[in-house]
Amino acid sequence: MIDLLLIGYIGFVLVLGLRRPFLWVLLYIYIDILAPQRIGYSIITDLPVSLIAFAAAFGGWLAFDPKRGARFTWRQGLILALLAYCWWTTGWADFPEPAATKWDWVWKAMLFAIFLPLTLTTRLRIEAALLTMLLSMAVIVIGGGIKVVFGGGGYENRMLIVNDNFGIYETSVLACMSIAIIPAILWFIRHGTIFPPDWRVKWFGYGFILACALIPVGTEARTGLVCFAALLALMFTRVKHKALFAGLGAIGLLAAIPFLPASFTERMGTITEFQQDQSASTRVAVWAWTLDYVEENPWGGGFDAYRGNRFEYRMRVEESVEGTTSVTYQDVTDEARAYHSAIFEVLGEQGWPGLILWTLIQASGLWQMARIRRRWRGREGADEQWQAPLASALGQAQIIYLVGAMFTGIAYTPPMLLLLAIQIGFASYCRQLDRARQPAPWLIRPGQLRPASQTSAA
Amino acid sequence: MIDYFALALGHGLLALALLRLAMWRQLDDDPALRQASDARKAEADAQSAAARAERRRRSDKGDHEGEQA
Repeated sequence: MIDLLLIGYIGFVLVLGLRRPFLWVLLYIYIDILAPQRIGYSIITDLPVSLIAFAAAFGGWLAFDPKRGARFTWRQGLILALLAYCWWTTGWADFPEPAATKWDWVWKAMLFAIFLPLTLTTRLRIEAALLTMLLSMAVIVIGGGIKVVFGGGGYENRMLIVNDNFGIYETSVLACMSIAIIPAILWFIRHGTIFPPDWRVKWFGYGFILACALIPVGTEARTGLVCFAALLALMFTRVKHKALFAGLGAIGLLAAIPFLPASFTERMGTITEFQQDQSASTRVAVWAWTLDYVEENPWGGGFDAYRGNRFEYRMRVEESVEGTTSVTYQDVTDEARAYHSAIFEVLGEQGWPGLILWTLIQASGLWQMARIRRRWRGREGADEQWQAPLASALGQAQIIYLVGAMFTGIAYTPPMLLLLAIQIGFASYCRQLDRARQPAPWLIRPGQLRPASQTSAA
Repeated sequence: MIDYFALALGHGLLALALLRLAMWRQLDDDPALRQASDARKAEADAQSAAARAERRRRSDKGDHEGEQA
C-alpha cells in the first residue's frame, strides 16, 4: 500500500514534469530528503528512484530549460573545489572501504548542490525548492511530533517513519535540521505565494513548528536542545519587544517542563555534567586526537579516518549512597569513535585545506545572506518585501545548523547542502534583479557619475 | 496509523503545490525580472531615440549655419 502511494506520487511528478521540467528537480529534492525507497517495503526498494529523478532533473534542465539567468557562481566553485579535494583524499584514504561508502553519498549531495542553483532562476523556483524541502521533512517531523505528544520517542527508541541512521533519519541530524527550518516555515507563513498566507497556512505552519520543536524531545538528541537555544537567541535579537519575548519565553519553558518526559530532562541534564558523561568525555578526547592526527597528516586521512583512533581518558564518577556522595575516577578506553563535530570531521578527513574550503563555503553563505538582508531591508516596492526576510531565514537556518554541527558530525548532510544551494540561487536571483533595475551603464550620463561638487563646477 | 496520516498529509500538500506550479508560467519566466528588463529596454530605446533626434537636430543646425556662411 505504502509502496503504491510512493510510486504513484513519483509517477505523478514525472508526468507533471513533461509540462514543466523543473518539477523533476523538485522530485530529486523530495527523494534526497525523504528517501522513499527506504520507507516502502517491496517494489520501490528495488527501483533506482534517486538515479531516475537525477537523470530527469539534469536531462530536463539541459534539454528544455530556457536557462535565462543561470550563472555559475564562485560559491559553487568552492563546493566544486571541496568535491574535487574529497575525491583526491578518498583515493588514498586510511580506510578505503568505509571511505568509498561515504564518498558514494557525499559526491551526489555535493554535485546536486552545485547543480541546483543553476535551475533557481525565478522567485517561484526558489520558493518551490524550499517548500519541497520543508514538506518532505514535514512527512517525518509531523509523524514524529504526534508520536511524542502521545508518549512515544526516547533516546535510541525508534519513533521515525524509517528506523535507520541514514541521512535525515539520524536523530542528531533530524533534531538539528528540524529546528533550523523553523525560520523558513515562518517566512512561508508571511510571504509564501504557492500557498498564499491565510488561516489554513497559518494553522498548518504553527502546527509544523510545534512538531519541529518536539523532535528534540522525541529523539532526546542534546544537539536539538542546543539548536533550540540558538533559535531563541536569534529570535531575541530580532524581536521588537525583547522584554515581552523573554518573559513569555521563560513562562512557556517553565510551563512545558512538567509535560516533558523524565528521560528527556535527565538526558538534557547531562549537558552540564560533561565530566561524568562518557559520550561528552569521548567527544573531547576525539577532538584532541584529531588535532594530534592533523599535525602528522595535514592533508587529512580521507573519509572515516576516525576509525584509526584509540585513546584512554579518566572519567569522573559520582555515586550517592545514603546521602553521602563519593567521587571516583574511572579509566576508560575507547577506539574508533566518531568525530561528534562537523569541524573536526572535516579537519580529520580532509585536513587543513578541506577545513578552509568548508569554512569558506559556510562563512560566505552567512556573509551573502547578511548582505542581501541589508540591501533589501527598507525597500518599499510591492515585490521587494520578501527578499530581506528570506535572507534572514536562510541565514538563521545556517547559524542553527552550525551551532548543532559543533557537536555532531554532519558536515556534508544533504539537507544543509540543499539550503546552501538555495542560498546561492537566491543570491544570484537578487543580484540579477538589482542589475536589471539599474540603468544600463551606457545610459548613465557623465554628469550622473560625477560627484556633485564637480558637476556644479562644470 | 500516525505514519500513514503524516505520509498522506505531506504527499497531499506536495502534490497540490506541484499541481499549482505546473499551471503557472511564472515558474519558468519571472515577472519581476521580465518587467525590470523590459523597463530597461524601453529606457534604452527612449534614450537612443532622443540621442538620434539630438544628432539630427545638430546636423540640421550645422547645415543651416553653413548655408548662411
